[in-house]
Amino acid sequence: MTVDLDKYAKPGKSYYIALGLEGSANKLGVGIIKHKLGQLSDSNRAEVLANIRDTYVSPPGEGFLPRDTARHHRNWVVRLIKKALSVAGVKGTDLDCICFTQGPGMGAPLQSVVIAARTLSQLWNLPLVGVNHCVGHIEMGREITRSENPVVLYVSGGNTQVIAYSKQRYRIFGETLDIAVGNCLDRFARTLRIPNDPAPGYNIEQMAKKGKHYVPLPYTVKGMDLSMSGILANIESLAADMFSSKGGKKAVDEETGELITPEDLCFSLQETLFSMLVEITERALAHVQSNQVLIVGGVGSNERLQEMMGLMVRDRKNGSVYSTDERFCIDNGIMIAHAGLLGYRMGQITPLDNTVCTQRFRTDEVFVEWRDD
Amino acid sequence: MSELSHRLSISIPFENDKQASMARKTMAVDPVLKSNELLIKFNQEENKLICQFMGTSDRVIRVAISNVIDNVKTIIECFDEFDGKDDVQFEEKQETI
Repeated sequence: MTVDLDKYAKPGKSYYIALGLEGSANKLGVGIIKHKLGQLSDSNRAEVLANIRDTYVSPPGEGFLPRDTARHHRNWVVRLIKKALSVAGVKGTDLDCICFTQGPGMGAPLQSVVIAARTLSQLWNLPLVGVNHCVGHIEMGREITRSENPVVLYVSGGNTQVIAYSKQRYRIFGETLDIAVGNCLDRFARTLRIPNDPAPGYNIEQMAKKGKHYVPLPYTVKGMDLSMSGILANIESLAADMFSSKGGKKAVDEETGELITPEDLCFSLQETLFSMLVEITERALAHVQSNQVLIVGGVGSNERLQEMMGLMVRDRKNGSVYSTDERFCIDNGIMIAHAGLLGYRMGQITPLDNTVCTQRFRTDEVFVEWRDD
Repeated sequence: MSELSHRLSISIPFENDKQASMARKTMAVDPVLKSNELLIKFNQEENKLICQFMGTSDRVIRVAISNVIDNVKTIIECFDEFDGKDDVQFEEKQETI
């Protein structure tokens, strides 16, 4: 038996179009997606009509603060919606619903975007659909890669989770006990004063390619969970010694005695963190007897992580790794439109009074009504 | 519980009653986080949105008003760009985004 996704279809219309608004962190994204009637399949795929994004980039050495990020989103949200509608060639009357990120994320940025969503919903008389940000990533990753039932590694600046689907929930197998992997990388980028443009993690990745020496760092897998704050503190103190003018105890490579460079630190940090991620993902694969891995979230665009995951999966029978490029990996509006539209097709609409955004909204709280496998 | 002794009321005029009503509904949804320090009431009177602020200090009220004004700016921008235009195809302007 499969789920009937068309119980709420408008009579005489052979497709749905949804607008998605994302602003849970420093990216403001607006996307427009189209689903034709019937189950999504290899021959009936979701169509991306528009997917635009504007990122708030803070100066080197600084993170993005909620207030400034919210101001950025407020500044751009209406212009971005207009641009998306024009790129898609879609009018307000063509839309079925407006989807917005309801959480998890930073409170002020989320709230600044939902204001626009609520106003537009009333102006154009369209229902609102609140979307869990993590579920947005998972559903968009599944649709783009057409992976059937993968173990999902969701790695970004705010989240680190290993997720597997079971009985209409995305269940969290393992997660970080303190900071997210992206947060760990971003904060180390701040310590090194690496630019935040286009993304701190991207710049670390480029520097890591030039790293030659591995510096041992704590390896902190706790069962299915991870801890990364200690690793960050450790490597930050190494970096502080490196830049200290007093000289003295600068780190050297154990074998060659060469001085450790910032590139070496980036390399070592990536290798350590990603090994930990690969380890818990592999354990989750064994638990659910799956051989597919889907990597989503901003850190998922890191090619070294994809490569390491590939090496692990290659040793498993018929294993495969699915990942998407930065358009869908890094926060975007289209994933919110897509996941929201799946909910909308099951009748999950959010009344105006229930559209309050929440900073904490766990992945497994969402009833995945549109799947029943 | 301290008294909400500081009070201020602002009146925001909109183009019509409908817009004032929509603005009220959009903002009234979000709860005030520290309800023992601040209370905000939104009322619509014809085309005006009356926002009443009651707080424990002038600082609390200043922050709350600043936040409401920020929200109103987004709402008005939506009205200006989208009201009555659900059947309009927007054309891409050469704008740097």
